[in-house]
Amino acid sequence: MNEELQLKLQAYLDGELPEAEAREVAAWLAQDSGAVGLMTELKNTRAALALHERGVNVPESREFYWSKIRREIERSDAAAHRPAPAPVSPFKWLRRALAPGMGLALVVATLFLITRPGTTAPGLGLTVATADAGTFTYRNFESGATLVWLPYPAENRLAGGGSGGNLQQQ
Amino acid sequence: MKLSALLAILILAVAGTAVRAAELKLEAQLVWASNQSTSPNPKHKPVEPEIKKKLESLPLKWSYFYEVKRQEFSVSDASETKVELSGKCQLEVRDLGDNKVEISLCGDGKVVWKGAQALPKKEILVLGGKAPGDTGWLVTIKRIE
Amino acid sequence: MAEKNHSTAADLKLVEWAQGGDMDAFEELVARHRDKIYARAYSMMRSEDVALDLSQEAWVRAWQRLQQFQGDSSFSTWLTRITINLCLDQLRKQKRQKAESIEEMDEESGGVERQMPAVTINPTERLERGELRQRIDTALGQLSHEHRTVLVLHEFEEMEYKEIAKTMECSIGTVMSRLFYARRKMAALLAGLKNED
Repeated sequence: MNEELQLKLQAYLDGELPEAEAREVAAWLAQDSGAVGLMTELKNTRAALALHERGVNVPESREFYWSKIRREIERSDAAAHRPAPAPVSPFKWLRRALAPGMGLALVVATLFLITRPGTTAPGLGLTVATADAGTFTYRNFESGATLVWLPYPAENRLAGGGSGGNLQQQ
Repeated sequence: MKLSALLAILILAVAGTAVRAAELKLEAQLVWASNQSTSPNPKHKPVEPEIKKKLESLPLKWSYFYEVKRQEFSVSDASETKVELSGKCQLEVRDLGDNKVEISLCGDGKVVWKGAQALPKKEILVLGGKAPGDTGWLVTIKRIE
Repeated sequence: MAEKNHSTAADLKLVEWAQGGDMDAFEELVARHRDKIYARAYSMMRSEDVALDLSQEAWVRAWQRLQQFQGDSSFSTWLTRITINLCLDQLRKQKRQKAESIEEMDEESGGVERQMPAVTINPTERLERGELRQRIDTALGQLSHEHRTVLVLHEFEEMEYKEIAKTMECSIGTVMSRLFYARRKMAALLAGLKNED
């Protein structure tokens, strides 16, 4: 089977052939076991891929994922000198966390804040003196843990991976 | 009446000085966060369960946390204590009183973050960022005394 | 005036509110569609970190262009197109930085896969679901980005050849050839006929 026929068979499967050509391929399929075999393979691959697509999820919490988007939006809005969207209270996350029926948030009280130099994060006991734009703070009240997430280092000059990065330079 | 009040003030002042004179003992750890169940560096061991639990309570995407370096140190209000966690990562910590410490994180000798944080016992402060190969670096700071 | 209920509002209503500056409405859209958008970026980029960054960038772009959304397609489809275009831009940048190899040229024309006998084993019947997913994931990672992108756009986005050609800035013939090659290689990898190295 040459390439042209192979591609025609594929186009038939994908519903991309004009009606007359589709009839020709159907007739060809009825008498050529090689074409049937190839068609079966193409169909099976398509079915397998359809199954694979389900089940890929963001490997971050909703709050963490959104906080980065919001930060970028605010940054780009500020850069464009457009009026920023109405600010949301930093306590929004806390309210959400404490609201009933919010799954995990029922037991974990959290607070997310973009922390800029000179700011005091309400409720965190944290005052930031120096920080790059993009630094933000997450607080889990229940566990007593505060995370300050830094955009530094952009290309990891501070630390490295487990296989020879600067992290291990002691 | 005046004398007793004066005595009370003196006692409080002396007690206050004694408390302030007591140094805060802290522990800092440099941690490598990864989704690999083993660290390529055999010197790295998993962090202690207490730290792991705290890290798991944060929105970090990694499941495994390896201790790269741990260091205990004392801080006072008189001067900054410098803690070297790696060739490129240092902390400068100062006691501000009332369980509060001022922390500077330095990378390549430059301050990349500076803040003041209340650190009562059982609390932990974690500074972190991305590292290559879909991993992360973390510096944990907690009070031990 | 009735109070807004973001969690129960339809996508189009949320978009309308977001177009008026309602960030909470936009956040609800993010919550609803973030997995799909991330999955699309991941399927094309094959890196968790890059997929996260690009999917988040897509949301930022969507916010900036929200006024352009007219409702001709669903919000999810519109956003997916933004994500795909961002991924393609990134892949083109990467490709410019990488010298074209003999192997890639071979892939372009179909390589040996075009001549392979048909694989009649149905992987969905033969393999346990988790194993199949893992094997597909590995196999997708072994395709060149052009072949993987064609496969993703056709199989996952259900785009027609013409639309793929326009998106990828190539001819319909190239789309057909790449798609055929990608499917055949996937079939071989899923059947375990080709070394997964």
